[in-house]
Amino acid sequence: MITLSELTKDYGTTIAVNKLNLHVSSGEIYGFIGPNGAGKTTTIRMMGGILAPTSGRIVIGGVDMSGNPVAGKKKIGFVPDRPFLYEKLTGMEFLQFSSDLYDVSRETFPQKSKSLLQQFALWNWADELIEAYSHGMKQRLIIASALLHDPQILIIDEPMVGLDPEAVHMVKDILKGLAVNGTTIFVSTHTLSIAEDLCHRIGLIHKGTLLAEGSLDELQQIAKLGEARLEEVFLTIIKENTFL
Amino acid sequence: MIPAATLIRPRLLSSANSFRRGNKKNVWSRILMFGGLGIFFWLGIFIIFYRVLLYFHSVQDFGDILAMKFVSMIILTFFMLLLFSNLINCLSHLYLSQDLPLLHSLPVSANAIFLSRWLISTFDSSWMIIAFSLPVFLSYGIIFKAGVFYYLVFITVMLFMCVIASALSGILVLFGSKILPAGRIRTILIILGAALLIFLIFVLRFTRPEQLVNPDSFASVVLYLNSLQTPSSPYLPTTWVTDAIKSALKNEPAAYWLNTGLVITFACMLIFMNSLLAGKIYFHGFSKSQTTPQRLFAPLKYKGIDWENMFNFLPRESKAFAVKEIRTFFRDSSQWPQLFLMTALIVIYIYNFSVLPLENYPIRTIYLQNLFSFLNIGLASGVLSAVAARFVFPAVSLESEAFWIVQSAPVSIKNFLWIKFFLYYIPLIILAEILIVSSNLLLNVSDFMMVLSMLTIFFLVPAIVGLGTGLGAVYADFKSENPANIVTSFGGLLFMILSFGLITLVIILEAGPVYTIFMADLLGRNLSVAKMIWVAFSFLLAVFLCLLATFYPIYLGEKHLTVK
Repeated sequence: MITLSELTKDYGTTIAVNKLNLHVSSGEIYGFIGPNGAGKTTTIRMMGGILAPTSGRIVIGGVDMSGNPVAGKKKIGFVPDRPFLYEKLTGMEFLQFSSDLYDVSRETFPQKSKSLLQQFALWNWADELIEAYSHGMKQRLIIASALLHDPQILIIDEPMVGLDPEAVHMVKDILKGLAVNGTTIFVSTHTLSIAEDLCHRIGLIHKGTLLAEGSLDELQQIAKLGEARLEEVFLTIIKENTFL
Repeated sequence: MIPAATLIRPRLLSSANSFRRGNKKNVWSRILMFGGLGIFFWLGIFIIFYRVLLYFHSVQDFGDILAMKFVSMIILTFFMLLLFSNLINCLSHLYLSQDLPLLHSLPVSANAIFLSRWLISTFDSSWMIIAFSLPVFLSYGIIFKAGVFYYLVFITVMLFMCVIASALSGILVLFGSKILPAGRIRTILIILGAALLIFLIFVLRFTRPEQLVNPDSFASVVLYLNSLQTPSSPYLPTTWVTDAIKSALKNEPAAYWLNTGLVITFACMLIFMNSLLAGKIYFHGFSKSQTTPQRLFAPLKYKGIDWENMFNFLPRESKAFAVKEIRTFFRDSSQWPQLFLMTALIVIYIYNFSVLPLENYPIRTIYLQNLFSFLNIGLASGVLSAVAARFVFPAVSLESEAFWIVQSAPVSIKNFLWIKFFLYYIPLIILAEILIVSSNLLLNVSDFMMVLSMLTIFFLVPAIVGLGTGLGAVYADFKSENPANIVTSFGGLLFMILSFGLITLVIILEAGPVYTIFMADLLGRNLSVAKMIWVAFSFLLAVFLCLLATFYPIYLGEKHLTVK
């Protein structure tokens, strides 16, 4: 579903992402972890079509993002790390805007938007301006909006930032449910417990290079740490820096 | 005082850092451009005032009285401007800035925060008034051959007048924010300010100053000047400032020392009061400003009739952007005053044509009417450029940090820019054609001029909108919160220069051929083949320039915004 080949982003002074290769299959939740400045957000922004790679290829749902970005983006639900929205629209108006852009059926929109807003505990705020929303509410609205067009692929940068424990639990359940139904989910996060809990496979990026990749068991083997938690695995791999 | 100085340091460091090498914003070219424009205006003001005062000075008795009355009016105008600009700036700096939550979390007193923000607000509100008052009072000093003390007194009282305006604003804002959330006060102030300005424009316009050129009405002008009274209560700080400057001009030390002293001590007393009040109520007001006020107006919906349906003919993504743009535009209170102001200016624009005293001129009226009609193309395009600078140029930037939504949406940047283009092109072409047709009807121009004006505007409007959309994309500033700042940016000025340049070029290209056709028609002659080729070439070149300005900037904007 997602294939990154030799993906590189060179900002001139720094190489944020260096010849990154990875593949995520349909229905898989792929966790992308790494320290600050590792290249996670740059990778995610390139996958979402917000940044162009310096070199390499991104194939989303069989569509080459450099060849037909519009077709590629239709398959994606994108959630950025910071919830900037049109503050002068109401939550419902924003969903309407998204549904028009992603060509969601007009017949199903009212029911679908209502159920998503209810699911994300925003129904009572549907007609309030977004400027009145809290950080967590904006984050939830963005996730709801990203799910509106039933994307084949969900790309999320730091999904749980600003969410309360109840919302974190809810989002985790929703993501797991989506994966069961075949949605591919690519999650970048700092919160290792979430990656541990949620992801089928985890990729560890550091200084733009993928250091290690696999399920938690596989990463434990790579780090030679037995039954250690992801945090220890993470720290060991980052320290050694030479696993792949 | 030390914490306040520390709190000001980030602002100073930010300014200094913008001069660093490798700064993407290319600060030197901006300084050169803004500096050049500033010097141009500064010199312009100086020359105008110097000539006016020289003329006044040459008229015995009456001239000096007029010059001194002028001082009172200038000071009063500056003070009102300072007061209004300080009110807005104080509200923003003291209650609405994004860094305030961080500042209030620091171990410094509310008083120190207030003082640091108030000083920054005073500087931001005053520097331009000080800078542009210099040529005015410099010309006074030269004409009245004032001594060095005049300049010292002028600088001192001007500085302290700025402090007084700022301190008074501070007190008003402190009390106001205790009653209402700061965001709501700003909206009310902006609306009141715009209403006041529009009222002033209408009052000034409807006094019909064009009658001044009519010698028959001179008696009423004398009466007008006699009745021209500015408030001169001895308790007003503007009176002290005015008297200090006047007495310094006339070299009367006792009077200027007294008035300067009054200005300085009053300013110090106000600073003390501000500090006292800030300690007691500033934090309370700040805390209130952190809550979101309720919406000022409820959404309009009449029995299921939805205005959005007007756009059903558009492709779906275009309709989505159109509806979003209209909603965000009308809900943003910072857009309202400009909208009112533009409406007022357009009404006055048309009204001006209805009162043109054409019959008083000795030149043949038919020639004059058509000449005015031709010049009207330039004027109307100029008005449109100003409207486009305010509304079209910032359109891309106003996506602000939510621009990621456009970038990640299945819409190409090219489509996005063309949607923006058409959203502004349609209302502007309607507005421009109304302006041109109504003013031409009032001028009673020939059919040829009517068609020519309409066609020229038909090509110029997309060119101006294309230029605005394209350059707005090239110089997009997604971090800016205020559209007014986007307009006065480097890109905004470049847009104005290029837009006026284009209008001038088109007018120049059309002027010769229009004159030739008009005179041939008037004299009943035919055009030679060479002249016809020249006419056709000029018009085609004008059309080509308009098309180039429509498409090329949008192409550049697309290239600039396309992911890199």
